[in-house]
Amino acid sequence: MFIAFVLLIPPLAGLHELANPDISAKFEIFLATSAVVLALWAISYNLMLGYAGMVSFAHAAYYGVGAYTVALLFQRFHVPVLAGLALAPLVAAVFGLVTGLAALRAVRLYFSLLTLAISQVLFSIAFGWYAVTSGDNGIHGLDVPKQLTDFTVLYYFVSAVVGISLVLMFALTRSPFGAALAAIRENRERARAIGINVKAYELAVFTIAATFAGVAGGLFALFQQEAFPEMLYWTQNAQPVVVALLGGTGTFLGPAIGALVYTLLDNLLSKNFPYQFDVLLGAIVLGVVLVVPGGFSALPELFTTLRTRFRHEPEPGEIESGGESIERADVGKVVRIEAVQADPAWIERGEPLLVVENLSRSFGGLRAVQNVDLVVHAGDRHAIIGPNGAGKSTLFNLITGRLKPSAGRVLFAGRDITGHPPHTIAKAGIGRAFQITTIFPKLTVLQNLQYSMLAHRGRTVRPFGRADRMFREDAMQLLEAVGLDRYATLPAGQLSHGDQRAIEIAISLALGSRLVLLDEPTAGMSPFETGKAMELVRRVAQEKHLTLLFCEHDMEVVFGTARTVTVMHQGRVLTEGTPEEVRANLDVQKVYLGELEAEAVV
Amino acid sequence: MNPAQVLLFAVGGLSNAAYLFIVAAGLSLVFGALRVINMAHGSLYMIAAFVTVVVAEKLGIALGFWGGLVAALILTGVVGAVIEVVVLRRVYREAHLVQLLGTYAVTLIIAGLVRIVFGPNYRTMKVPALFSGSLSLAGFSYSVYSLFMILAAILIAAGVYLMLYRTALGRNIRAAVSDPELLSASGIDVARLFTTVFVIGACLAALGGVIVAPSQAVLSSMDTDVLVLAFAISVIGGLGSILGSLVGSVIVGEVYSFGLQNQYTNQFALAFVFLIMAAVLIIRPWGLFGTPEQ
Repeated sequence: MFIAFVLLIPPLAGLHELANPDISAKFEIFLATSAVVLALWAISYNLMLGYAGMVSFAHAAYYGVGAYTVALLFQRFHVPVLAGLALAPLVAAVFGLVTGLAALRAVRLYFSLLTLAISQVLFSIAFGWYAVTSGDNGIHGLDVPKQLTDFTVLYYFVSAVVGISLVLMFALTRSPFGAALAAIRENRERARAIGINVKAYELAVFTIAATFAGVAGGLFALFQQEAFPEMLYWTQNAQPVVVALLGGTGTFLGPAIGALVYTLLDNLLSKNFPYQFDVLLGAIVLGVVLVVPGGFSALPELFTTLRTRFRHEPEPGEIESGGESIERADVGKVVRIEAVQADPAWIERGEPLLVVENLSRSFGGLRAVQNVDLVVHAGDRHAIIGPNGAGKSTLFNLITGRLKPSAGRVLFAGRDITGHPPHTIAKAGIGRAFQITTIFPKLTVLQNLQYSMLAHRGRTVRPFGRADRMFREDAMQLLEAVGLDRYATLPAGQLSHGDQRAIEIAISLALGSRLVLLDEPTAGMSPFETGKAMELVRRVAQEKHLTLLFCEHDMEVVFGTARTVTVMHQGRVLTEGTPEEVRANLDVQKVYLGELEAEAVV
Repeated sequence: MNPAQVLLFAVGGLSNAAYLFIVAAGLSLVFGALRVINMAHGSLYMIAAFVTVVVAEKLGIALGFWGGLVAALILTGVVGAVIEVVVLRRVYREAHLVQLLGTYAVTLIIAGLVRIVFGPNYRTMKVPALFSGSLSLAGFSYSVYSLFMILAAILIAAGVYLMLYRTALGRNIRAAVSDPELLSASGIDVARLFTTVFVIGACLAALGGVIVAPSQAVLSSMDTDVLVLAFAISVIGGLGSILGSLVGSVIVGEVYSFGLQNQYTNQFALAFVFLIMAAVLIIRPWGLFGTPEQ
């Protein structure tokens, strides 16, 4: 339907002119051309904004770079405009990659501010380097190739280029690569823990967005026959942002609708009421931000909500899960699933898998972990216990790369992984469940598992194929087995706390890691759920050759699951042994009794 | 370049630094306490500059400058309070993306309104008689007004320092900067505190706008021009640090002033400012005097 609409614009404009001679079909086709280019620019922006959650102030600069590529090649070297157009994306990509490398040294807000600085430097060059860019005069009077001098032909040509670009970007958003972007947007921490190299993917999407902005800028130079420095100024980013917000950042073609609305409004208002247009745009952006976060494409939903409220109909409400999924888990089934399978361990059962040597980490004056030595043997179920503040979570963060140790080494399967980033450690075979539930809240329960499987098996580098069709069976089987299948298509964040914990555990199992770290896996679960969850973890570990390292406060869970127990106290290892030995240890009793007495005094 | 020239350019840089510091200090103060980058900060500055020019036109220059000062402070204070209550309160808990977009929307609205109310043309006003004229030193003349700007910035810096370190309000603001959660648990009316901080920030933007009005053309694009420089200053000095704003504004003011004097660099004077900003962000994202985020 969208394609038909784009194709029909020139004949419709012709009819419009026939019916009303005051109207110029040429002008309407020209407007449509600019709307199509704007759509491409905004959709390329939305690759960052909507799909990866990044706000860049440099996108207009790459758009400008595309236009200047065409204009300068034409003016200085008499390169035909179409050849320049072919080079524009390449040049923009190089600029995007180089500046992106700098920009991504910072995160979130600081990333945005860094893109602002980059954009201003590029603008200053275009504006100030008079000898090359003609400064504030810009470059005008490009020759349009003979075949494209007709407005209608030019329109179809531009639309075709935009169409091809959109198809490529659309394929990208649905591919495993797009899945990695969604994962990063939803939860950077979890994305790292399933093996995604967050920075690399952000750099990739930044460069890809710059490339397509280069195409849009090149097209601008083609149909406007000019390039000027203001195209690069940081406030110009308002245009793609407003357009993307207008149409909705959550859907692929939303910004295209935004581009149409924007172009029409701009044409209607800005001639007679230019300043009112600014106010209106501001009001729309504010409205979208505060009231309709989905943009125009979310209006139907908003309308439904308003109608139900207006008629005092009971709202459908958030679909609540009961939190008892784990009780229905079928442990036997999980054990039979082939997807959950640790890599065939070349280390024999009983050999050291994880070796921690003399590991220390302090925060300011506080020594959270001091000279810890720990060996986890392949196939073991190893618990770490100790009162609050004993350093258990810090130790986990040091092993998984979330924190860098001040001193000491971590060896995994014979490899030194000390200070490696979390994603390489995850890839190497250490999966993790966090103490605070760390899942992808807006992705469906099924996608949570699918994307984890994709990422951990290194598939997310693929920019083609459909992520949602990959590992579907495996993920579904695992969901059925842990009793979450009823909620497979719900956003994970809508489930109750207990069920989200179950997803957390399922993710850490879905990774098929040789070593699984569980940081208080059953926190907040009922005793029955706890029992069931630990039975699940224990059986899976046993059958699938996973090695478990977990911390837990619930002593029943510890002694029922672990075969080795390490006791930590004030950042140090107090003792280690079998559950029986630890239970009988006087020091341990003292530590825990001391803790109890301290609590009693408080 | 002889010493007398260096002095001339250095004083020129300081008078740039003066109004930039006043604006950037407001931006940084708001960020420190509220953790929000206020994109509309430059808009408040622009409102104040236009109000000053218009009041000066009505009342004459002698009275107009001071009348403009009072009118601008009141108006931007009120506008600031409205922005805080209507927009910011709803986005404190949101991602910084939403905060940027929300305050950016306010920028668009104010830019449109300023052009509707004051017209699209630039305006100028004379320097008030008290500060007109110039002093001569080592063969160069220095305008009294630019010296006044430097003095005003020093006074305002001292005022902000006293407010932060000698008043109960300042103590609460510093508490908000270091630990927002603890603050809300300590029984202070955080909503009111945030509104107050935002209004103070808005008034600093306004002071910058008033002081700049007699020295530059008052334009409808001055909102984003000053905002981007205020960002650079806050980032270089460290977002949330007033001392950082002071040092950052001197760096930016001087780099710009000296950059303009050389025939090879004068077209790229602004590019240098942003290169420094980029370098600081890459090497030390929290700036020279800021504290790294947890």
